[in-house]
Amino acid sequence: MTQADPAEIFRQEAQDLLEQLEQALLDLEKDAGNRDLIDGAFRALHTIKGSGAMFGFDRASAFTHHVETAFDRVRRGEVAASAELIAVALAAKDHIRTLIEQPDAADPAEGERLLGALQAVVHGAQAAAPAPEPGRSPADGAAPGHPVLWRVRFRLPKDAMALGTNPLLLLDELRALGPCTVTALTDALPPVEEMEADGCYLSWDVALTTDRPRSAIEEVFLFVIDDMDLKIEAVDGAGPPKKLGEILVERGDVPAAAVDAALAGQDRLGALLVKAGAASEGQVRSALAEQQHARHEDTARAAASVRVPAERLDGLMDRVGELVITQARLSQLANSRGDADIKTVVEELERLIAELRDTAMGIRMVPIGSIFGRFRRLVHDLSRDLGKQVELITVGEETELDKTVVEHLADPLVHLIRNAVDHGLEAPADRVARGKPERGQVRLVARHAGAEVLIGIADDGRGLDRERIRAKAEEHGLIPAGAKLSDGELYQFLFHPGFSTARAVTSVSGRGVGMDVVKRTIDALRGTIDIATTPGRGTEMTLRLPLTLAIIDGLLVRVGAGRYAIPLPAVEECVELSAAADTRSTGRSFLNIRGDLVPFLRLRELFGSRTPADPHQKVVIVATGEQRVGLVVDQIIGSHQTVIKSLSRLHADVEMFSGATILGDGTVALILDIAHLVDAGQARDQQRIAS
Amino acid sequence: MTKSILSVDDSASMRQMVRLTLAGAGYHVVEATDGADGLAKARGTLFDMILTDLNMPVMDGLTFIRELRQLPSYRGVPIIFLTTESDAGKKQDAKAAGGTGWITKPFQQDQLLAVARKVLGS
Amino acid sequence: MTSQPQGRPLEVLTLGLQGEVFALDAHCVREILDLVPVTDVPGARAFVGGVVNVRGKVVPLADLRVMFGMERTPPTPDTRIVVVELDLGGEPATVGILADKVLEVTGIAPAAVADTPRIGMRWRPEFIRCIGKRDDEFIIVPDLGRIFS
Repeated sequence: MTQADPAEIFRQEAQDLLEQLEQALLDLEKDAGNRDLIDGAFRALHTIKGSGAMFGFDRASAFTHHVETAFDRVRRGEVAASAELIAVALAAKDHIRTLIEQPDAADPAEGERLLGALQAVVHGAQAAAPAPEPGRSPADGAAPGHPVLWRVRFRLPKDAMALGTNPLLLLDELRALGPCTVTALTDALPPVEEMEADGCYLSWDVALTTDRPRSAIEEVFLFVIDDMDLKIEAVDGAGPPKKLGEILVERGDVPAAAVDAALAGQDRLGALLVKAGAASEGQVRSALAEQQHARHEDTARAAASVRVPAERLDGLMDRVGELVITQARLSQLANSRGDADIKTVVEELERLIAELRDTAMGIRMVPIGSIFGRFRRLVHDLSRDLGKQVELITVGEETELDKTVVEHLADPLVHLIRNAVDHGLEAPADRVARGKPERGQVRLVARHAGAEVLIGIADDGRGLDRERIRAKAEEHGLIPAGAKLSDGELYQFLFHPGFSTARAVTSVSGRGVGMDVVKRTIDALRGTIDIATTPGRGTEMTLRLPLTLAIIDGLLVRVGAGRYAIPLPAVEECVELSAAADTRSTGRSFLNIRGDLVPFLRLRELFGSRTPADPHQKVVIVATGEQRVGLVVDQIIGSHQTVIKSLSRLHADVEMFSGATILGDGTVALILDIAHLVDAGQARDQQRIAS
Repeated sequence: MTKSILSVDDSASMRQMVRLTLAGAGYHVVEATDGADGLAKARGTLFDMILTDLNMPVMDGLTFIRELRQLPSYRGVPIIFLTTESDAGKKQDAKAAGGTGWITKPFQQDQLLAVARKVLGS
Repeated sequence: MTSQPQGRPLEVLTLGLQGEVFALDAHCVREILDLVPVTDVPGARAFVGGVVNVRGKVVPLADLRVMFGMERTPPTPDTRIVVVELDLGGEPATVGILADKVLEVTGIAPAAVADTPRIGMRWRPEFIRCIGKRDDEFIIVPDLGRIFS
């Protein structure tokens, strides 16, 4: 079967239909009352209108809709197919053809004139009804709320199943909304002799706990809602779980008096009510089911989550951190004592504490998707306010970050998305003129990379105008005229307070207030912002944030007299640098690792170590983003649970280290900041090449 | 077991679009160009679902649905009809004739898939 | 140079550094430690070239000798680390200050405090808050805020 594009087939089809229409109209001139001709003309218009809208021919569809409406009056006999009408209809048909085959050549004024003429001929046919909106049902915009217990009771007409409705599928759809307890009521079952094989005699009570809105429940019954009994009510969840009698009375199954009377007796309420004929067994069973459901959901919900004040979490993390350090000391002591029994216990302790650490970390980490949600609304509002069509694509919602970091990211991301939509994306007309799709795209991508989290905001808009930024920077006196700057340096000026190259200050952005705040926030999180742009194609801003886990797995190394920790997730491999390779690479910038050329940094040089070098140097190959670098060290000590201690503000200027950690013997080891080390290495290489 | 769907529409572009959408989702699709053609095909094979336009030459959608419901084997089979905004009355008529559910034109591919899932199960 | 407001003695901890007597505001002092292993921080400014572990916290070790251009002799058994808490740019910070020996906690009478003379000063006047006198000794009160900014 062909994989042809339906839109292409439509063009062909439309041609045929328009010919049919023309023929019908011409024939109608000679035979004005011919019903078949009128129906045929109407059907052709109807199909073009409907299918046109399906395949993107919106203007043609909208125009045809008006013509169809006018012709509908003819079809209903309200208006005659006069020669005038046919003349206008023929001209309209030509216009429709143009709208389909050469939409750019179609003159909207001509269209208006034709519709006006049509109106005049048909006398008071409805004034241009608004073109039918594409028939999407509005997305259920309500944000998920709190779980609510709903009581859904429904009964289908007897012939529902014969007409193709499957009640089991309806129940499945309800189950998809949340935990359900379903009770079938057999009260209306007729005697077997009277039953029709596919008759629907059951009704159902469903206790459903869901955080979706009522409309989602109604949607399940979309096709049958007009013909059935349906009752949906929210049950008040506050307070203690309801008693059986309360539920029955609330549902209107049993009068309160009957409940009171029955309670006065000794037996269980349900049995009493049935015995007294006040309630059917089915009703009681169903009410009991709801009661159980509510109880179960209460405990489930209570067990599902616990609210904890943030300081307690911090306190927990601190305790765990100290536990890790103390355990390291214990391990060291145990090793030096040589007592095998103690060593075994200490190893077990190490394992348990690692698990405890992971659990504690898990509590603090939240997926970044938790803030992505609000961006959809933002983009929707922005696109409406700015008159631009925007599609927001998110990738990596499950990427996890420390809770506090995620909270601080929300505002900067809002600013950046605003900028992308407001300044990055062009107006729909411009985009089309440049051969871009009318709808602009903003991509929000989050992923882990080594010991960092990368969050990218990319748009497919106009890109940054290097010259305008440069001019603005000169204007603000930030750079002397004619200074030579790299792209990277130039784009960093965007973060300068008050710097905005926006031509117009819109209500949304342009005052130049946002970007410097963004930079400050990211700096405070010890992150960086990279900017990449292609004029005419778009811009991408990438936030790089160090994983601020308080405890990470680290690789401990020795360089000279000092020990340093490298975040283990960033480590690709460790190799030994043979003496030959060592001498070979003196004065060069690349190591040959199994055929790959890897740039390297001799940390001894970088740190100014004065102790004698170990004869066999080691190389730890780390990756940051897309770049790899080999770090040459004296000794690789081993893995180490690294409790991150932040460095003092007095050391904020030392970018090579992202923090410090305390070793088992109580001394301090600095934690290497891989991204900055790579930069430092690159800078030195440039110097060496330049000199 | 693959579910089979009969798609009845006089518009070739609509039939193509429906085929691409449903076959792409794993359903077996058979096409018919009008009500009479559809009825003939429905008699020959028992389909799991019928999808039909209402506005067709030779035999229109309403008549097709009514005839289909006369066939004992089609009791219980969901019949989905295509309706446009402007014929609300048609929707009632189609339901009265035996239609199970509907899709409003113009519609997107995922709406079609959602309705198929709704009446056929996942 | 601001001088001490009249009437209130300045309570200080005095310490010896390369033969001179320095005084730190006693209220800032948190504790005094014996010398512990110091970890070098490559790339840091010379006067905070190292860090130490103070009960689980990584604290920078400040060497005032660098600020005042003094000779930096190796540590002795009397060497101590005075841990102080300062306000740096609006936020509290913990810093360790190296001392050849710690002397005592004492008060300097206001009358004994004089403005730093501008001429004839060996030390960089901008890093000195004021100079006190006790018996025959000059006591230098460093301006830690300036030094650590």
